[in-house]
Amino acid sequence: MKQSVDREVKRRDEKFVAKTETKIWLEACCEDNPYIAENVYCHGYDILDLMENCNVIEVVFLLYKGELPSLEQREIFEKLFIGLINPGPRHAATRAAMNVGVGKTHPVHLLPIASMVMGGEKAAGEVEAAMRFFRKSYRKPAAQVVAELSLHAGQDWQRPVPGFGQSYGGIDVLSAKLGCYLSGLPGAAEILNWGQEFSQLLAEKSAGWLSTGLAAAVFSDLGLHPKFAGPLYQLIAAPGLIAHGMEMYTKPLTAMPYVKDENYVVENRK
Amino acid sequence: MLSKTASKTVASLEAGRNCIKSRNGGWLPGEGVFVHGHRLLEDLVLNKSYMQIVVLNATGRLVSRELADWMEAILGCMSWPDPRIWCNQIGALAGETQATVSAATVAGTLAADSRAYGQGTLVKGVEFIKNALAKQQQGKTAVEITAEEIKSNRGKPNIMGFARPLAQGDERVAAMEKLTEKLGFKRGPHLQLAYDIEAELLAQFGESMNIAGYMSAFLADHNFSASEIYSVYAVSVMSGVMACHVEYADQPAHSFLPLRCDDINYTGTPVRSVKSI
Repeated sequence: MKQSVDREVKRRDEKFVAKTETKIWLEACCEDNPYIAENVYCHGYDILDLMENCNVIEVVFLLYKGELPSLEQREIFEKLFIGLINPGPRHAATRAAMNVGVGKTHPVHLLPIASMVMGGEKAAGEVEAAMRFFRKSYRKPAAQVVAELSLHAGQDWQRPVPGFGQSYGGIDVLSAKLGCYLSGLPGAAEILNWGQEFSQLLAEKSAGWLSTGLAAAVFSDLGLHPKFAGPLYQLIAAPGLIAHGMEMYTKPLTAMPYVKDENYVVENRK
Repeated sequence: MLSKTASKTVASLEAGRNCIKSRNGGWLPGEGVFVHGHRLLEDLVLNKSYMQIVVLNATGRLVSRELADWMEAILGCMSWPDPRIWCNQIGALAGETQATVSAATVAGTLAADSRAYGQGTLVKGVEFIKNALAKQQQGKTAVEITAEEIKSNRGKPNIMGFARPLAQGDERVAAMEKLTEKLGFKRGPHLQLAYDIEAELLAQFGESMNIAGYMSAFLADHNFSASEIYSVYAVSVMSGVMACHVEYADQPAHSFLPLRCDDINYTGTPVRSVKSI
C-alpha cells in the first residue's frame, strides 16, 4: 500500500528556555566552586533560619504556598497529617508496602511502589476531584446538593461525589470522627464546615466523609491548587506505608497469608 | 457510632474472605499454569510469541502471529535511547544516582504516562478516532470532523494522534506503513479516516499523523478498545529508558548535564528572616 504522504521530518525549532526557573529555592554558590551551594534559601528564608525557628509542617506549607502558615493554618494542617498518617494495614497501598517488605524487595523501592498504588483514582487521585467538587458546590446549601443527588434515579451512594460515600457498604466511621474533630478546630474554615454538614446529611444514606474528602476540604481552605491534592495525600500517608512495609522486612515469606490452592479457582481451564 | 451497613453487604464481604476466583488463570501446582484457559508452558510458550501472550493477558484474546508481530514492532518504534526525551531523562538521572536499572526503567516508564507524549496519549487517541468514525458514519465528512476539532481547540491543530513535540512529521509512521504492507494488512475504516484527517491537517497546518494516531487507528480497526491498547502498551518506552540508565550508571557522578548554582534562575522572594514576621 503506497504511503499517503511524504513522511519528511522537520525540526520545529521550538524555543526552549536557557535556564530553568524557580520561585522556591535559591542556591548561593561557594566562592571557589560554582557547582557547590554554600547557602540555600526557601522562598527567601535561609534553611538554617527555618531549622532554628520552624517545625516541619510549617516548612512543608511554605514550600507549597510560598509563605509560612498562621497558627490556625499550621494546627489544622498538622492535625490532618496526624489523622491520615497511616492508611492502616488493610489499605491496598499498605498491603503493597507489606508485600514489598515480606518479599525482600529493595527498601528504597517500598515508598514509590506503595505510593503508586496510593495514586489510584479511588485513593489519592480522588482528592483533586474532591477539591473540584467543593469548588463547584460549596456556595449552595449542603441540603440542596444532597437533594439534587437524591433525584438521580437509583443513585449509588457508594460514591455520590468525590471524597464522600461508603466504605465497605457503610459510613466510614473513622473519617466521620476525624471530620467532627477537624471541623471543631479554630482553623476550620468554609469548605471544611460545609463538608461536615454535607457528610452529616449523607448519614441517612449510610454514607459520609471519606479520608480523601477530608484532605480535600482542608487543602481547599488552605488555598492549595487542586493539582497538589494527590501528591500531598500520598505524602501524608507515606510514614504509615513505610512503617508497615519495614515491619515486614525482618519476617519470612510465610509471615503473610497465602491463599491455599484449594481456595484459588481458575476458571476456563482447557 | 454505627456505620449503617446493610447486613447483606457484610455477608457478601464475608463470602469473599480467603478466596480468589480468576478468569485470567494462575498457577496450580501439579496441574500447570493457565492463561485465559490456555496452558502457558505446554502450549503458549511452545507455539506462540511473547507478544501474543502479552496481548492475551491484556485482552483475553489470542491474536494472530502477524498481528502480534505488528504490535511488537510498535515497541521498537518507542525504543529511542535519547536522554533528552523526558521519560528517558528519568532513566539517565536515575543512572547518575545509581538507582537500580529496575527502578530507573519503571520510573521513566511511569513518566511517559503523560498527557503530552508516550503511552498516556493512547486512550484519547483511540477515543478520538473511534468517535470520529462514528460521526462519519452518521454523515459527516472528514473535512467537517477536522474543522470541528480545530474549532474546539481554538484554531490549533491539537488533535490527539496528530502532530508531536519537537518535530513536524513522524518517521515512525513511515516504518510502520512499510510493515503493514509487508504483513499484508488492509486499510480499515478507522485508518482510512485517519489518513483523510491527516490530509486536511497537512493542507492547513503542515501537520501529519503521529505514531500514536497511526497505531490507534490501526488497532481500532482490529477491534481493540482504548483501555486494551493502553494495557498492552503500558510499558512501551521501557527499552529507551533502560538504555539511558545503562549509559549513565557506570559514569562518574554529575556526568549527566551538570548544573551550576546559577544555572537555575531564582525569581522568588528576596532573602528575609523568619523572625521579621
